[in-house]
Amino acid sequence: MVKLGKIAVHICLLYLIFLLGNWIEHTLGLFIPGSVIGMLILFLLLITNIIQVSWIAEGANFIVKNLAFFFIPVTVGVLNYYQLFSGKGFLLIIIVLISTIFVMAGSGIVSQWLVRRKEYKHE
Amino acid sequence: MNEVMLAVVIILGTFLIYHLALKIHERWNHPFTAPVLIATAIIIIILVIFHIPYKTYMLGGKWIDELLGPAVVALAYPLYQHRDTLRTLTGPILVGTSFGAILGISTGLLLAKWAGFNSSIIYSLTPKSVTTPVAMAVTETLGGVMSLSAVFVMIAGIGGVLMHTYVLRLFRIDHYLGRGVGMGSASHAIGTATSMESSKLEGAISTIAMVVSAIVVSVITPGLVLILM
Repeated sequence: MVKLGKIAVHICLLYLIFLLGNWIEHTLGLFIPGSVIGMLILFLLLITNIIQVSWIAEGANFIVKNLAFFFIPVTVGVLNYYQLFSGKGFLLIIIVLISTIFVMAGSGIVSQWLVRRKEYKHE
Repeated sequence: MNEVMLAVVIILGTFLIYHLALKIHERWNHPFTAPVLIATAIIIIILVIFHIPYKTYMLGGKWIDELLGPAVVALAYPLYQHRDTLRTLTGPILVGTSFGAILGISTGLLLAKWAGFNSSIIYSLTPKSVTTPVAMAVTETLGGVMSLSAVFVMIAGIGGVLMHTYVLRLFRIDHYLGRGVGMGSASHAIGTATSMESSKLEGAISTIAMVVSAIVVSVITPGLVLILM
């Protein structure tokens, strides 16, 4: 029960940071989602020790571990678009797969090249 | 049954089905048994069989949606946990993920545009490489369909895991850092889970790449879309 209460309080704090991020997004008219701004704020507050990690740890851990649960309702919404994936829509799957290969290969090659160069210099 | 009762039943039902999906994934560990895929399929089947409209399901579903924002905020926590790794390898991780993000956004957008799809579908597809709640937020900002973006994210995740052995071998990506960055950038949490299985270190890098690419994609997508559309 204590743990459940802790998780609830932690999630409330995360929610407040989310609202702050939303507020910043709208006040400054940014195109970056408020939730992502909130994530950056929380990261900065954590590394500067302004927010103790123990204030959010259980709640954040619970959410991150069960991340999939929170977007199931939206994902279910695809049932309104089933006709899209018949016929020409099939192409979309191919496009996503091709683009995914680009991302995996591109990011992997560049980061590996950079780290090997760094390791080489150190030797 | 009044709406509050209905909402409670829907939330509890979704939670139970999610747990069932987790058990199935534990028993048969495969990209196609990703909990979100199984749970979504079960719920869709139930809705279709009993002729329940999506709108009715969302009476409960909207309360779960409410936590998507804080869920994105919570991703700062794993990033914080791996801060030392991030600090020592900032350059390679940041440059690699950013390069991947630019490639992913532009190839996805241009291919879909070239194939003649309308802009709301293109906007839903563009952020497919990042974790679902962030992809949905980016799609919302652009004016796409959030449910569709969730499906494209799922395809990128499952597809990436199914193809990763061949892709990594073909491009000779064998360093744990290159593998982790590739998996996390292209296939978000599903890719990260696979990286965790190969090594703890690769899993940590993949986690960092997943969160960093979510940030990079949400920052650069609006601008890139403006240039490419």
